[in-house]
Amino acid sequence: MTHEFLSLYAAKNAEYLLAVGYMVAFIGWWKFVNGGKRAVMEARAEAETPKAKHAAAPAKQPEAHGWFEIPTGVWLHPGHTWARAADDGSVTVGVDDFAQKLVGGVAQIALPKPGAPVAQGVPAIALAAGEKAVPMLSPVDGVVSEVNSKLAEDPTLLSEPYTQGWLFKVRPARLQANTRQLMEGETARAWLDNAAASLAARLSPELGHVLQDGGAPVSGIAQELEPERWDALARKYFLT
Amino acid sequence: MANAAVTTASPVRAWVQEKIFLGMTVKEYVRSLATPANVVLGGLAAMGIALMVYRFAVGLGATTNLSQYSPWGIWIGFDMMTGIVLAAGGFTLATTVHLFGLHAYHPIVRPALLTAFLGYMLAVVGLIADLGRPWNMVFIFVRPGTTSALFEVACCVALYSSVLFLEFLLPTTEWLGLKRIRGVLMKIMLPLTILSVVFSTMHQSALGSLFLLAPGKLHPLWYTKFIFIFFFISAVMAGISMVLFEGSLSHKAFASRITSHFDVDRLQIGLARAGAIIFFAYFFLKLQGVVDNHAWGHILTGWGAWWAVEMLGFVLLPALLFAYGARNMNVKFVRIGSVLGVLGIALNRLNVSVIAFNWKLPSAVRYVPSLMEVGVSVGLVALGVVAFRFIVNRMPILGEHSSYRGSEY
Repeated sequence: MTHEFLSLYAAKNAEYLLAVGYMVAFIGWWKFVNGGKRAVMEARAEAETPKAKHAAAPAKQPEAHGWFEIPTGVWLHPGHTWARAADDGSVTVGVDDFAQKLVGGVAQIALPKPGAPVAQGVPAIALAAGEKAVPMLSPVDGVVSEVNSKLAEDPTLLSEPYTQGWLFKVRPARLQANTRQLMEGETARAWLDNAAASLAARLSPELGHVLQDGGAPVSGIAQELEPERWDALARKYFLT
Repeated sequence: MANAAVTTASPVRAWVQEKIFLGMTVKEYVRSLATPANVVLGGLAAMGIALMVYRFAVGLGATTNLSQYSPWGIWIGFDMMTGIVLAAGGFTLATTVHLFGLHAYHPIVRPALLTAFLGYMLAVVGLIADLGRPWNMVFIFVRPGTTSALFEVACCVALYSSVLFLEFLLPTTEWLGLKRIRGVLMKIMLPLTILSVVFSTMHQSALGSLFLLAPGKLHPLWYTKFIFIFFFISAVMAGISMVLFEGSLSHKAFASRITSHFDVDRLQIGLARAGAIIFFAYFFLKLQGVVDNHAWGHILTGWGAWWAVEMLGFVLLPALLFAYGARNMNVKFVRIGSVLGVLGIALNRLNVSVIAFNWKLPSAVRYVPSLMEVGVSVGLVALGVVAFRFIVNRMPILGEHSSYRGSEY
């Protein structure tokens, strides 16, 4: 018992002091943890939209609804690429409306060569604008049978992502298993609306003047939003 | 007859090919497995299994450095104690989402429950390796020793493992397309979640209560009569740290399996905020434990320095990293904090059950694990990683099944 140098009363005093000290320290700690960038951002958003405080949250959803298009018969991958099966057994692959509007002004599109294998969830495409490039994931497994050579000559075709802006065709290896990981129909539309709402939350208030009138987002949102780190923002949505 | 055999065999083969071999032929599947990481993991897991077989063939004496002085080694301190505490993410997240109603965290509940299920399974395997004679386990329930802390531990492990198994069955039924069984499971998910909280609360703290049996053996800086409370609080800390750690890894490794779009960084920062508060409170409670135990005098000894490493490096530092990360919306700090948090909890359990246990023994008779003990523990962790990958690549764990989108559980 050589270490029991504190008497019972002294130990109790130390316990009480520690408890009071903890409670005082906890006030500062709580403020520190819950303050900072997040609090500043919330305060700023509130200050810039004072009238819309209560209406803002529910109003955002209908605004974002229908921003991005998706036709029927197209499977959507969570990395914002799509796949569509043709009668000849091949599958056409492209990027969705969200992706082309997010990146916008694409100068170059790197596509896999015919004969190259692609795998679901593995990067197969890269969209380049300026000095930066963003990889995107293949929605299906298979071997590339054909690429859209017109895109190399005219990258603006990407603005029609589901028709002239298709990227490549694939001989699928296991389409049935792949499609279980993809979305279609109402599910895909709801998911895309959800992604639009998430983007809307990011845009406001930075690009509020573009969107508060209910207008759909312009092309190249990522570069508008974060000119220096637009590729990082795009990667976040493209899961790369 | 031959034709009938062919027609019945082919759907089975197609089913196996799709469900087990991910749509590939056996040859393609085996080829796809031949990556350096898989070879290393597979090798370690095989080594662990081989050593387990050897342990059951020749006994504890020939495979471990356990003795009458140190009957608990790393199979208890690491596999059991650490495996169980790191599995606490399951009940922590299930409570957060299904009982407290913070539904934003819904996308990370299933991976947390899977980690918990695998953690418990591996802890049970580690425990069986230590105890031996698994066929005698049934006597826990046939002739229960209701006055024993170990009885509560055994009871809770058995009951909570069963609950976790039922919770894990839900994604399994979605994977196999067993709609009726899934429907039944959905009806009992809320009671199961409540049971999981009750069992975990009892069980995580009961592991701490074990040390109340041997007050003189555990070093006073770690021993306190409130140790069971510390075990429970640190289980919640471990749960949060493990969910953050595992979430960061699996979100990158299995990006293609994630079908629901959610901002993982935002969820992680929210969890880190909770982590910062709990780690901070735990730090002060541990100090209180030292004062209450009259153990200040040990702070300036070698044991005190080791205790300070655990408290400052693996409790206070993660608390600061979580707080800074949450404050500045910087998920990198949060992830570093989660690694330190996981290591810190593992260190705490090893300190309590192995390192600072029997601290008065002369160094000549102190326990150091044998290579074979380490081999089994490493093999079990590798086996856990292999099982996690196998399941995540097949079942709707990180994403939702296309037929059950928006499911509550």
